[in-house]
Amino acid sequence: MITSLLFIVFAGMAIGCALGMVAQRNPLYSAISLIGVLLSLACLYVMLAAPFIAAVQVIVYAGAIMVLVVFVIMLLNVEDEEPRRKRLAFLVPTAIGLATIMIAESAFILYSVQASPATPRHGISNVGLTASVGAGLFTKYLLPFEITSVLLLMAIVGAMSLARRSNTLSPTARVVPGAQVLPMDLVNPLSTGNTTAVETNSTAEAARLMGVEGHSDREK
Amino acid sequence: MDWNNPFIHSVLVIVAITIAFLSIMLLVAFTVLAERRVLAFIQGRVGPNRVGYGGVLQPFADFIKTMMKEDLVPAQSTKFVFMLAPMIAVVTAIMAIVVYPFGPTITIPILNWSFPLVIARFDVGLLYVLGVTSVGVYGIALAGWSSNNKYSLMGGLRSSAQMISYELSLGLSLIGVILMSGTLDLYSIVEQQSGWWGLNWNIFYQPVGFILYLISAIAETNRVPFDLPEAETELVAGFHTEYSSIKFLLFFNAEYINMITVSMLATTLFLGGWNGPGVAQFPLLGVGYFVVKILFFLFLYIWLRGTLPRFRFDQLMDFGWKVLVPIAILNILVTATVMFLTGK
Repeated sequence: MITSLLFIVFAGMAIGCALGMVAQRNPLYSAISLIGVLLSLACLYVMLAAPFIAAVQVIVYAGAIMVLVVFVIMLLNVEDEEPRRKRLAFLVPTAIGLATIMIAESAFILYSVQASPATPRHGISNVGLTASVGAGLFTKYLLPFEITSVLLLMAIVGAMSLARRSNTLSPTARVVPGAQVLPMDLVNPLSTGNTTAVETNSTAEAARLMGVEGHSDREK
Repeated sequence: MDWNNPFIHSVLVIVAITIAFLSIMLLVAFTVLAERRVLAFIQGRVGPNRVGYGGVLQPFADFIKTMMKEDLVPAQSTKFVFMLAPMIAVVTAIMAIVVYPFGPTITIPILNWSFPLVIARFDVGLLYVLGVTSVGVYGIALAGWSSNNKYSLMGGLRSSAQMISYELSLGLSLIGVILMSGTLDLYSIVEQQSGWWGLNWNIFYQPVGFILYLISAIAETNRVPFDLPEAETELVAGFHTEYSSIKFLLFFNAEYINMITVSMLATTLFLGGWNGPGVAQFPLLGVGYFVVKILFFLFLYIWLRGTLPRFRFDQLMDFGWKVLVPIAILNILVTATVMFLTGK
């Protein structure tokens, strides 16, 4: 009795927050609603005797990924968006059609799972426990696990290299002649950590010192 | 009494939660007082000593005073989030206390009741603590954003960045203990430290992990020397600049409750929890040991605040990512290797 009551509470919360997430105009409210969905899902996992999955759900999704999302929203300082109903009107029937297909699919899956005699209904499973997840990851699914790790690492490195601003002066950049005192590692990425000051009197000399090739002095 | 009856069980749990809540609140009140008195002692001042005997009633007077203040909400703020943020901060802080075992299994002689002194015992107690603390970041981040104030925003961003970074080294520093005990259940972890007349503590096997944990925990609770989010000289009061009255009180409480829960986790994982000499004969002594160990950590917090200057923000980030995380990973590697070689 208590179990089904709790299920109704958390499932209701999850659905309510999900609707809120879609319906909100303010992206931050959407993000907060999504956090609500994730937390309610974690509660449902606990009730399904999968405490490890629940904890990981909270730590990884609610605690790490959504923090980054909230961060981005906070930093971008988004304006209130204007509704563009005319241009995007075709989306409404499309959405209804897709939703119908989705609901039909889930109903079919639910039905076939219920109907299949192979589905254990009353056994206690140990799928969501820490030991079974760990044993699975490091024995049976070791290769997929490692490949996923490498994939994520590549994504991180890629993001770093894309986001990192290059320190090299472009050939068209103009270096103002005069007493410029710059640390070497600021102007030349190859000499990282070299804080020797560079002093120049002409643009060409500055370009030569900084290792910028093909720099044409516009003063000439 | 049938302990497995869900109704009786729920009632008992609610009673236990109420007791734990009240004791934590009292502990917060007296930690604040102790902080002011000890800081005053360190700085050669007297400190609050007028309200009640030696200032015992000072926190209650402060509480009433803060409650009486006007509850300001900035006109340009995002009202709903502004209200939500302190609630998230304090609720997540309190939620973490339920999993800590504060005493061994005790037996009441005449009634023949026997139960362990822990409110909620489950398989992934440690992960639960980490999960709840990681949700606590939202309280601060949202408070900083919704205030619509540049100091608040800077404080909130700093605080979230700091908490996310140090959560990593905090989690990694605990893995050594988890590897050794082979469980995430806090009660079992404490029970495993009961050898050597109750002095078989994990700190003797994991000294590096303990130090890493201590540093990360101080950073995680935004305390000196890692109190960048509320650096008065540059950020007024950080993320809670715009908060007054009861909402400020909630943030204030959340900070101190976080200090207490972090001390509880340190005690549970590294200092043997309720273990100590003589606990096997007198189980209630365990509760005393547990409280004394927590008080030691709280004193340490105050001591550090009276002693250390503040980090600069880039130093803080460098220290977290380039010093603590590599050492923590090395610690895991060494622990795992030693365990493999000794066949433990």
